[in-house]
Amino acid sequence: MKKVFKKSALALATLGLAASVLAACNGDSEEVGNAEEFKGKITIWDGPRWPDKDDNKFHWLEAKIKEYEEANEGVEVDLVQVPWAEMGDKLGVAIAGKSWPDIAPVDISGSAVSIDHIEQGVVEPLDSFLDKDEKADFYENALEAYTYDDKLYGIPNSITLHSMLLNLDLFEEAGVTPPENGKWTYDEFLEAAKKLTFDRDGDGKTDVYGFSTYIMPGYYEAWPFFYKNGGSPLNEDMTEFTFDSPETIQAIQDLADLKLTEKVAPETHGGADVGGTFQAWANEEQRTVAMQPWATWAIGAAQGAYPTNFAVAEYPTGENESSSTIGGVGGWIMFHQEETNKKAAVADFMKFISTAEEQYNMAQNYGIFPARISASEMDPFKDNPEMTRAMEMSDQVVMLPRHPEWKKIDEAIQAQLQLVFNGEKTAEAAMADAKKAVDELLK
Amino acid sequence: MAQIPMGTVPKKETEKLKVIKKPNKGVFQQMKKNYSAYLFLLPKLILFTLFIAIPVVWAFVLSFQDHKVFGSEFAGLDNYIKVFESEAFRIALKNTLLFTVVTVPFSVISALVISSMIFALGKFSQSLFRSAFYLPTVTSMVIIAMVWRWMYNYEFGLFNYVLGWFGIEQINWLGQSGSALWALIIMQCLIPFGVGIIMYLASMGSISQSLYEAARIDGASTFKQWLHITIPLLKPTTLYLVLLSTIGSFQVFTQIIMMTGGGPGSATETLVHLIYKTGFRDFEFGLAAAQSVVLFVIILIFSIIQFRVLRHDE
Repeated sequence: MKKVFKKSALALATLGLAASVLAACNGDSEEVGNAEEFKGKITIWDGPRWPDKDDNKFHWLEAKIKEYEEANEGVEVDLVQVPWAEMGDKLGVAIAGKSWPDIAPVDISGSAVSIDHIEQGVVEPLDSFLDKDEKADFYENALEAYTYDDKLYGIPNSITLHSMLLNLDLFEEAGVTPPENGKWTYDEFLEAAKKLTFDRDGDGKTDVYGFSTYIMPGYYEAWPFFYKNGGSPLNEDMTEFTFDSPETIQAIQDLADLKLTEKVAPETHGGADVGGTFQAWANEEQRTVAMQPWATWAIGAAQGAYPTNFAVAEYPTGENESSSTIGGVGGWIMFHQEETNKKAAVADFMKFISTAEEQYNMAQNYGIFPARISASEMDPFKDNPEMTRAMEMSDQVVMLPRHPEWKKIDEAIQAQLQLVFNGEKTAEAAMADAKKAVDELLK
Repeated sequence: MAQIPMGTVPKKETEKLKVIKKPNKGVFQQMKKNYSAYLFLLPKLILFTLFIAIPVVWAFVLSFQDHKVFGSEFAGLDNYIKVFESEAFRIALKNTLLFTVVTVPFSVISALVISSMIFALGKFSQSLFRSAFYLPTVTSMVIIAMVWRWMYNYEFGLFNYVLGWFGIEQINWLGQSGSALWALIIMQCLIPFGVGIIMYLASMGSISQSLYEAARIDGASTFKQWLHITIPLLKPTTLYLVLLSTIGSFQVFTQIIMMTGGGPGSATETLVHLIYKTGFRDFEFGLAAAQSVVLFVIILIFSIIQFRVLRHDE
């Protein structure tokens, strides 16, 4: 009964807003439906999360679906299990064929769904279903990541960021002290990288390298290094390419030179082998690289599947004197709906799996930071100093530019960066070429 | 009674032939007469229409549209202009052409040589080698690409390991612009052209032994027999295989997406990978369709040239 009242109250509250908030693209006013009246099927796609005792990585959502179906008679929620690696491609094909699910876990600045799709009405705005008080429980940057043109296009459920992971066993073997509180300058980092590059068995070949990362479209582990002197890829109003500024060029060249001149990074540094790079840091059989930057999932992996004695550090600072990192926000989006009652029911289910309790649960088990303030206040990482350390870096997060052509801009930049790391071009020449390509896209 | 000269046909017979050549019945009447044959073809025809003909026509229509999920607009030749102005397309075309020009002759010639060697063997050995060389054809390219990716691995790959025996420095096969495309070309060349070997073996079996006997009587060596009898008589098979592998090479995709993603830079970008990116990453389906149509025309031109050069003259 309480639930029915709550839903009705929500419907009434949002009804008044409906006409003005969702006077959608074509000027049509939109009704806010009633979730109670919907009977039928809701389809949700999700990727594998943490395993239960039977190694079922979908158990969390399966349990939530069962709970929801029992409380809402006549509603069937169909879970489609999609490997994370295939999520983007499958969604792309589904969008092309207009056969999308009702809900999917998508970062709208990511690769699967673009700003273009939002402009074309493929993603439903959710402002009618989350009132001001509900929104107030989310971190501002989390909401911002799902906001476009002053409308909310998703319910954030997690925040991730990149941090430096240091293999403490290798630090000890090389007699290097890790940075105090995880803070260090680029010179200190370089000094450590030099000492961490050594020939273990005396055969004249380097066995352990100080640092390594990779360069690939859509991946940004290396990028905070490019911000160390205060650079950014585009100017504030996103009309100009600015990664060719002297401070950025220097920062790019510095990172490439770790391999090219300093010889403290392996030949694969700056290549496109994501899995190989991680294995070189985390796989017990290898452990050939002492320091690598990774998103927070790697902390979970280093505490679970790849047990490693490690510490979390910040990206080293340059002229900017403050450290930067790149972050991402995960969440659920609702795809275009024809029926208003179904839309309300879909929103209701999205909220059902995005409560503070669920985000706390996910943070503890899945290695991500909650997007809700109340979930963070439950202190999910009180027994996890590494995650706490990474979480402290959230105020250093720099978001990527939200340009509709970002995927192409990103590819133009990353393709040139690969050539710099290969030693085929200087950072200056590469960014001059990137500018030509990016300026075309910014027109 | 006047004798009919040899080689001529009586007038009545010619008329009969004409009747056979040009039936006065309409197409539909013919179909009606042979309806059972068409009935057998119908399931395949329906599938062909649904999954090949309609998508091909739709791709052509799409290439003139600015595709949007809701309400596409007619774009005229805009997409085609973009294709020809695009540097990415030019690079992809250049890489694809290089890939095709090297791999097609190598695959076909190696298939011819391998099948000639196998054909000379006994029945059991022939079957054994036939299966061995055909095996990669039934193996998924994804699996083959993964294995080759390991072989090209900088740190623990097979190639660098072997180079190490000779004191040669490791090569970053897939990571350097200079070597990445060649690494993919070498890989393609070293994968046996199974279909080619099977087809050549079948064609060789159909060549009359009397030709070889006559050549032997004339004193021709085995190599000369191969050069002057086998190769010319295999010309129709060669033409078919060249066309088949050219089309396949122009459509190289799996190994690119699995092994290099088109990089480093644009060193291994190929046409189909570019079309894939334009469609499913950038969601520019109109432009991707235009790129596909241009690829279709390129393959068509190549096929016509090859057909004219290698045509089997009766």
